[in-house]
Amino acid sequence: MNVFIGQILPYVAVTVFLGGVTWRIWRWMIPQIVHNITLSPWPKSWSAAIVWILWQLATFWNLLKFDRPLWFGAWFMHIALFLMLVGHVLAFYTLGLQFHILVPGLITPELSLWLSFWFGTVLGLIFLLALLYLLGRRLVNEPVRAISSASDYVHLLLLIGIATLGNIMRIFPEYQVGYIPVREYLAGLFLFQPHPMPDSLLFLAKYTLVMVLMIIFPFSKLMHSFGFFWERWIINRPFHEPARGLPGAGVQLPK
Amino acid sequence: MSEANGLRQPKRATADLFLKLGVVPVPDGEKAAAAIGHLDEFRTKVRSFVMAMESCVKCGACAENCHTYLGTRDPNNIPAGRADLIRKVYKRHFTVQGKLFPGLVGAQDLDLETIEKWYSYYYQCSECRRCAHVCPFGIDTAEVTMIGRQILFWLGIGPQLHTATSGAILKTGNHMGLTQAGMVDTLDFLSEEIEEEYEGLKVTFPVDKPNSDVLYIPSSADFMLNANTLKGAAMFLQYVGANWTMSSRITEAGNFGYLMDQNRVMREMVTRLMEETTRLGCKKIVWGECGHGWRATKMYVPTMSDMPASRKIPMTHIHDEVEAYVKAGLLELDPKRNARKITLHDPCNYARACGHSDNMRVIMNAVVPKGAFTEMRPNREANFCCGGGSGILFDDKKMYEYRILASNKKAEQVRATNAEVLCAPCSICKAQLYPMVKEHKLPVEVVGLVDLVGNALVFRD
Repeated sequence: MNVFIGQILPYVAVTVFLGGVTWRIWRWMIPQIVHNITLSPWPKSWSAAIVWILWQLATFWNLLKFDRPLWFGAWFMHIALFLMLVGHVLAFYTLGLQFHILVPGLITPELSLWLSFWFGTVLGLIFLLALLYLLGRRLVNEPVRAISSASDYVHLLLLIGIATLGNIMRIFPEYQVGYIPVREYLAGLFLFQPHPMPDSLLFLAKYTLVMVLMIIFPFSKLMHSFGFFWERWIINRPFHEPARGLPGAGVQLPK
Repeated sequence: MSEANGLRQPKRATADLFLKLGVVPVPDGEKAAAAIGHLDEFRTKVRSFVMAMESCVKCGACAENCHTYLGTRDPNNIPAGRADLIRKVYKRHFTVQGKLFPGLVGAQDLDLETIEKWYSYYYQCSECRRCAHVCPFGIDTAEVTMIGRQILFWLGIGPQLHTATSGAILKTGNHMGLTQAGMVDTLDFLSEEIEEEYEGLKVTFPVDKPNSDVLYIPSSADFMLNANTLKGAAMFLQYVGANWTMSSRITEAGNFGYLMDQNRVMREMVTRLMEETTRLGCKKIVWGECGHGWRATKMYVPTMSDMPASRKIPMTHIHDEVEAYVKAGLLELDPKRNARKITLHDPCNYARACGHSDNMRVIMNAVVPKGAFTEMRPNREANFCCGGGSGILFDDKKMYEYRILASNKKAEQVRATNAEVLCAPCSICKAQLYPMVKEHKLPVEVVGLVDLVGNALVFRD
């Protein structure tokens, strides 16, 4: 079992994830943008369009403007998730010294470990709380409940499971796994030189859930993370107005 | 299966009407399979449709931002829920998860009951695109409504109103079935009216005049319901000495094809427009007050017309032109003639599809006295639909009741302004708001914007 989860499933998960995402995007690229259906007021140029799209991405501007309660859950959840993903990569790669490596003069290795710990803890808790808030909203808010399918809850529960297990391992010292065994194990995967998984049931459980998430990702609404760009590319594009003025009229606009 | 399950549905067109449009109604037993075939085709052709099907996370941000849901509290009128009527089927047939775990992801086979729901809900949606405006991803569920209506059309299902209007388009090039003789009659009458109302002012309405520079496209409803709009446009064009004409082959600023069949019927309008522009020697097309029709022209003609003229002839809206002349200080206007307290309804297609909010305000501030104009809130691209958008101006009892429900939000907005006049410069908005203000007991008069321009223009010899 450990061999399957530790040494086989990861390759399956990564293949399905990358292959699935590529296949979905491939399918999006087949149909055309038939007419210019940009929303107005439209951006003046392509660069303005890209700035607007990135602004929407970074701030969840539409939710902030039109659905503040949802914005609280959604923005904090996503920003915590994003920072934690980056944090995972950096912390496991540098063994928690990422801040020291980034600003060596100012941050000592000890401070970096401390920062890494607290960033991870706080973001992990924000992530979990935001997910619980979104789940509560989905259950309580009448219209949202009406349009929800079982899979909408499954995604939330899956993320809540991953967040809970991660937080337990982070907060309770007796369950901590530590950077080194994880890095050794992951390095083994990357280098195709199998190394046993860290010996922890919690790690095993969380790791399995993450791989399940990766496998269902391309076949679920989680693809919205890519869909965002493809949709906005259709809906936020420039349009060029024709000149004003009536040809042949007695009263002409000044040139 | 008609009027099924207590669903709110507009009166259906007969098979006969569909046959005239070249559509052989599909028998009930074959409808589902035919619809799936069409979905499969759209899936490989229209990206906006695919993205709407595949990017929604059901966050529900659209719910409280849609006037149809606010008016009915029906989950199928939540934009995400309405799109789901197709999305369920799309998932079942075209996605891995829907094929493997239909129950889990809410995928469903297509049956007649669902097709009946399509007919009900895709003709409650007004294609106003406020949902696209508020959606964090920009998912345009109007694209789904349009495809829903298109498939229904090909199955031979459609409202009497839209189908009959489409028939009139193929015959006369306008919605009202106006003929050249009828037009000229009405226009003579309008000339006389202007003469009486404005101290002998002589305004002519040229029709099919060869070698004109400007082709003006009025809404056919302006010949009957909104005559002041047509008068205002003619007065402006005459004031600036335009060499203009209307065409009896395309006397229609609207385009019911866009609202029902964005192929044969819509293309008929687009083709006539380009043919007439060429025939009459026009160098520019100026559009009258109509929201969806202006979008269908400004945004769709360049990618829809197969005539080279469409790539060369500039197309602007009458508001664009009036705005430019106002800004250049070339119009003498007397705002005192429009001295009542007024508010402006931004037609959805102007504000969210055609980049058309500033020009209306420039004109408004020039033609009414200072302080007379009050904005309703929200406004511009965040404005709510009048409730009649996409031509859902049905008269049958249930649908009429629905129109009034769908305008609840609009009534609330108008009431808060304490205005005496409601300016709604779009033919469908006007047709919806005339009865709406009565049903909601709003003490306002509904007018167009060019009406006010015509009324304020000071003519000197």
